[in-house]
Amino acid sequence: MTAVLEVTNLRKAFGGIVAVDGVSFEVRAGEILGIIGPNGSGKSTLFNCVLGQLQPSAGEVRIDDRLTTGMRPCDLNQLGVSRTFQLLQVFPQLSVRDNLILAGQEHQGSMASRLFGRADAGLGDAAGRMIEFFRLSHLADEQAGSLSYGQQKLLDAAMAFMAGPRLVLLDEPAGGVNLTMLGHLRERLHAYHAERSATFVVIEHQMEFVMALCTRVLVLAEGRLIAEGTPQDIRRNPIVIEAYLGH
Amino acid sequence: MMRLGGIVVAIASAAAIAAPFFLKPYGIFLISTWAVLTIAAIGLNLTLGYAGQISLAQGAFVGIGAYTVALLTPAGVPFFVAFMAAGLLSFAIGWVLGYPALRVQHHYLAFVTLAFSTLVFLVLRNEEWLTNGIYGIAGTSRPTLLGWQTGAARDFYFLCLGVLALLSLATWWMLRSPWGRAFVALRENPVRAVSLGLDTRRYTLMAFAIGSSLGGLSGALYAPLVQFIEPSSFTLGLSFNLLLMVIVGGSGNFFGPFVGALIAVLLPEWLRVTQGYYLIVYAAAVMVMMAFCPAGVLGLIERAGGMLRAPPKAAGAFTDGAAT
Amino acid sequence: MASFIQLLVSGLATGAIYALIAVGFTLLWQTSQTINFAQGEFVMLPAFFVLAAMNAGAPFWMAVLIGIALSIVILGILFKIIIVDPMIKYGVLPLVISTIALSLFLKESAKDFYSSQAQPFPALVPAIDIRIFDAVVSTQSLAVLAVAIVTVVALNLLLNKTRLGRQMQATAQNATLARILGVPVRRMVLYTFLLNAVLVAVASILVSPIYLAKFTNGETLGIAAFIAAIIGGFNQVRGAVLGGVILGVLDNLSAAYISSQYRGAFPLIILIIVILLRPQGLLGRIEERSV
Repeated sequence: MTAVLEVTNLRKAFGGIVAVDGVSFEVRAGEILGIIGPNGSGKSTLFNCVLGQLQPSAGEVRIDDRLTTGMRPCDLNQLGVSRTFQLLQVFPQLSVRDNLILAGQEHQGSMASRLFGRADAGLGDAAGRMIEFFRLSHLADEQAGSLSYGQQKLLDAAMAFMAGPRLVLLDEPAGGVNLTMLGHLRERLHAYHAERSATFVVIEHQMEFVMALCTRVLVLAEGRLIAEGTPQDIRRNPIVIEAYLGH
Repeated sequence: MMRLGGIVVAIASAAAIAAPFFLKPYGIFLISTWAVLTIAAIGLNLTLGYAGQISLAQGAFVGIGAYTVALLTPAGVPFFVAFMAAGLLSFAIGWVLGYPALRVQHHYLAFVTLAFSTLVFLVLRNEEWLTNGIYGIAGTSRPTLLGWQTGAARDFYFLCLGVLALLSLATWWMLRSPWGRAFVALRENPVRAVSLGLDTRRYTLMAFAIGSSLGGLSGALYAPLVQFIEPSSFTLGLSFNLLLMVIVGGSGNFFGPFVGALIAVLLPEWLRVTQGYYLIVYAAAVMVMMAFCPAGVLGLIERAGGMLRAPPKAAGAFTDGAAT
Repeated sequence: MASFIQLLVSGLATGAIYALIAVGFTLLWQTSQTINFAQGEFVMLPAFFVLAAMNAGAPFWMAVLIGIALSIVILGILFKIIIVDPMIKYGVLPLVISTIALSLFLKESAKDFYSSQAQPFPALVPAIDIRIFDAVVSTQSLAVLAVAIVTVVALNLLLNKTRLGRQMQATAQNATLARILGVPVRRMVLYTFLLNAVLVAVASILVSPIYLAKFTNGETLGIAAFIAAIIGGFNQVRGAVLGGVILGVLDNLSAAYISSQYRGAFPLIILIIVILLRPQGLLGRIEERSV
């Protein structure tokens, strides 16, 4: 099994504060890796370093064995890496359909073809299918800003999937979503994963969500990796319990 | 919604076509000025309203375009060629200026364009061998297109109006394409846009370069319109004026420049009563407007009605209550 | 060599003035995200306050105090309350547009309500030429340098050695964190505006004897301040000082040794070079890219 994502000795310091302290791990193709840890353990910083949002202080990030440390997020996305955001990041003024077309258009053709080609960049059908996949059909032409929180979360995920990424990083996808919608979201993520053999990395606080979705779990505390294993192992791991309770 | 907006546009277009038959030469000159400056304002609206960058050099690009035509046409270059040259030159300069400036986070483009404006003025003033310096260039001839002579006021107005219509349609089309969607994304949520593979730097640079080229094209018509150009016509003052046009009309709104330019051209006439204090009044009005309705005149109308929804409108830092 | 020293000294004097303006500009930007495009006009205006006071009969020293006081009130307090505060909730762009409009407003006001003619402005010291080695140096340049250096040193003491100053710095670097640490952020922001008002007033009094008090002064001074701030590294106060001095010296030297017709172009060239080669400025840190 080849590693889709490989992080080696990643370190990120903000002045005197070390947020990520020499973290190394691998993500193998097809797995759903969960990253958990108490607040302030550096999960989001880790994500942002991998995704080019932040420049790591030290360490390497490789995607498909290609060095990508510090690459711009838009270039990473062109390589097949996608993400969702903790705080909602849809485009409220655009319709749901337009949001999805926007999410995929930069992968269609070139700048020139996008100017002189079709208004929907040839993604009309693809967007429609994605809308159906996430069961948002009745909202297709509504402004994204008018959707409920849970629906926007679904849209966020849908946007991340539009370009058919091989690696998706999800930043607290379950945050703030009600129970019914949560089940729906998890089920859709599973379905996409199965259909496309995609690889997921998920940061999450909600234990049940992680346990139900992930195949392997990493635990971060104070910027360091303290445990790794299947969800069941992690749940029983005394070090992990200590890390959570100790805070 | 769209229908009401469509009707308004239709009426306005009819008015624009009919107007010169009811106006004296000075009036025709005013509406010609409106048409020409709207082109520059549309360009600046792209840069500011859609890509969210402040350019203080649009006036300089108008100057570049004007001098290009004023120098090429007497040398025998056909107007159409000179016109295109003005646009291409401005595009290239815009690209060169914007490329380094847009690599950084802050509003560096504002400063670069501010300094560039000064530089252009100095070049125009100092290089007398080329530009005739402060003595300016007079008598740029109005073109003859396929046998149609545009020398007379009314004919030239229709030329300006025609070019305005063409360029507006081209801009409209661009904004309806995936580029337009990208511009909206760029303004509304650049972080998200980048994570979707959108190269924000390139799109911003494009918007600025295209916006600048529209400034140049505007200048290409300006020279034959006013028939006498000199360096001081194209200083920061013009850039400010264009900026205010875009803001007052409604930044990021497709029709904003039309409204803003109209107000800017007519205002000095209306404010004659203030006897030359009109710049102060104008500046004060802009400050007030920024405090209460930063979305401009069309923003006000939109709040009142909810019409004139054109291609993806860039709502962003200029809508009320938005936190950038 | 002699003329070089002369140019150096006068360049340092000009540079010191640029530094004062650039520091105020940078501080405002750091603490409250205010890009004050009217900074040049802010420097142009206090001279007119002083002249108006003198016209009303006040002796020079009193007029200077009045000028500084008016500057604090109008360019500090009123600027903040009337323009910046209502606007900041709309984001940075509307505020920048407002300051652009404000610069036009102030310029035209000075022209219309005072005079469009350049007004002579009294110098701090009588302009005597003294000889240092072989060079002829004006006492005026030395006086400007002296006052500017004193101001910068005082500013440095204020910012680094006093509790107030450190709180202002904390606010500038990270307002959220400062608030958590108990710094009265809103008051610190106000103080920054007042501080800027004082700095521009001092700069105004230093520069007006040389350039005369003219309503167009703001244009060149504004651009110089922005470029000095960028050269130094937008987020650094020390950088603004360094940038101002470098710009002043280079500007003076270039005017003498290169065509003076293109004097105004020189800052632009420096700006373009800096942005191309070292966009974070001489002392700035590479900003974390967020996009």
